[in-house]
Amino acid sequence: MKIADISMRDAFFDALYDIARQDDRVMLLTGDFGAPSLDKFRTDLSRQYINAGVAEQNMVTIAAGLALSGKIVYIYSIAPFVTLRCFEQIKLDLCCMKLHVTAVGVGAGYSYSTSGPTHHATEDAAVMRILPGMTVYNPSDNIMVAAFAGMSYRDPGPKYIRLDREKFPLRYEEKHDFSDGLALLKRGKDMTIIASGMMVHQAFKVTEELLKHSIDAAIVDLYRLSPVNDNLLLQVMGKNKPVVTLAEDLVAGGIGSIVAEVMADNGCQSRLKRLGTENQYVFQYASRECLHSHLGLDVASITTGILRWLQ
Amino acid sequence: MSGQEIIKLERKANWVRRQTLEMCVRANTGFLASAFSSVEILVSLYYGGILRVDPENPLWPERDRFIMSKGHAISLYPILADQGFFPLHNLETFCQENCILGAIAENNIPGTEVVAGSLGHGLGLGSGMALAAKMNKEQYMTVVLLGDGECQEGSVWEAAMFAGHHQLNNLVAIVDRNFLGVTDFTENFLRLNPFAEKWQSFSWDATVIDGHSFPDILQALANFRSRKSEKPLVLIAQTTKGKGLSFMENIPLWHATSVSGKYISLAREELQQKENELNRGSDHENC
Repeated sequence: MKIADISMRDAFFDALYDIARQDDRVMLLTGDFGAPSLDKFRTDLSRQYINAGVAEQNMVTIAAGLALSGKIVYIYSIAPFVTLRCFEQIKLDLCCMKLHVTAVGVGAGYSYSTSGPTHHATEDAAVMRILPGMTVYNPSDNIMVAAFAGMSYRDPGPKYIRLDREKFPLRYEEKHDFSDGLALLKRGKDMTIIASGMMVHQAFKVTEELLKHSIDAAIVDLYRLSPVNDNLLLQVMGKNKPVVTLAEDLVAGGIGSIVAEVMADNGCQSRLKRLGTENQYVFQYASRECLHSHLGLDVASITTGILRWLQ
Repeated sequence: MSGQEIIKLERKANWVRRQTLEMCVRANTGFLASAFSSVEILVSLYYGGILRVDPENPLWPERDRFIMSKGHAISLYPILADQGFFPLHNLETFCQENCILGAIAENNIPGTEVVAGSLGHGLGLGSGMALAAKMNKEQYMTVVLLGDGECQEGSVWEAAMFAGHHQLNNLVAIVDRNFLGVTDFTENFLRLNPFAEKWQSFSWDATVIDGHSFPDILQALANFRSRKSEKPLVLIAQTTKGKGLSFMENIPLWHATSVSGKYISLAREELQQKENELNRGSDHENC
């Protein structure tokens, strides 16, 4: 199957499988969580695969013990469980000791739309990005996902990669260099939308709508949430152009906060509107589109909100 | 082990207590009681021919991994200094500006392996190291010292389940079973008993020993490199918190209280008295 036709997790584990075949130091620990692509990993590389059980805190400490003994370790579960459930283990065992362990979480934002706040990942990126030494990737397509498998293998230090459950159109060419941490995907003279993950794709639909109102918006894909490439972010935002951030995250701490911090630290005077989830948990059990409508994150609501704010 | 060798270890233990006391007096910090309950365990590991380490090369790949998981066990510092991992004078600046030795041993200190101190991490870290040794066919042993209060953390039992399942018989946990948490006796506020049975039910071999008896500790670890069992081993070392200082033993309040005022001289006197007793015993042995 083409890379565009598979899930993000399969794109990641297919790439990791190729790496792990070449290097038996690479280990994958799962919190009893699967993926079609994991079957061949489990079968062909059984010595490098451990089902650590439904015990995420222990999965992190085991990973740390293995990394302290020369292994390059990946831990895998649903996004909130592989981050929030074991936050202190990640802080002390991975970040304090600067270990080569990558947490891979599936279910960015409202990927698990029918499972409620237990499975929604709206704080995970915010919480992970404040940890010193932690690199946080939030990919928007499968080219990027596959690249992150290689980058996380090559670069020592703790990382968190949050994957969506949905498939998205490819936005990048093969062999794209993702070391910049962000990319200007669409130019626009009137304003800039800074989005991440699935909301990058939502941003493209929003810009089409805005164009009908003669607003030409740029789109920036902020795919590395920590460390943030401040200089490039300021450069692509442009001077004195209104900026809108767009994410499913809680506004506090998420993409909106990241951009606000960069602007404040650099004396940037542009107007800023942060769109995302306001201070709440969502007890709606329906499609992701329904949740977006409820939260004002559907294309129509975002467009209307931006137009009103620009006036 | 001969009586003379045992006395030698007891003298070392007393030296460790005296050094630890002076560190705490200088820095005006507490946690002496917790440190004193594990002195004989640590002295056994480092002077009883148990751990293979190389102070000249702290990261020697074949070294045994020792993880101080229980946090406040600063009696490890005099031992590491005496072994040659860092100069003895570092003890004088314990918990003072620009020192390397904090209230909790962390992995920036030569001779230590991990950042520890938040309870419930060490057994998982040790299990990962023991698993890696098996995968890489390396011979080192991994030893983790836990507190009994620490065993109220759920993560300890996640790790215990993992180590039992993966038959990590190159892993040894020693629990400093002093029966005291910070404010009360463990059995009063969150019962651990039946303790050995809990470990056994997680597929561990469990042995209860007197954690202040060198013959007991050393016998329990005598063949730890060549055990026939496929299970990991836990030693439940029954100890007394504050061991060695009569006014401190089994008194919860001393967990975090600094030794000050009259207690400083009292503590010095008691440890000096112990020293004199051991010297007399040593003379007797020499006759």
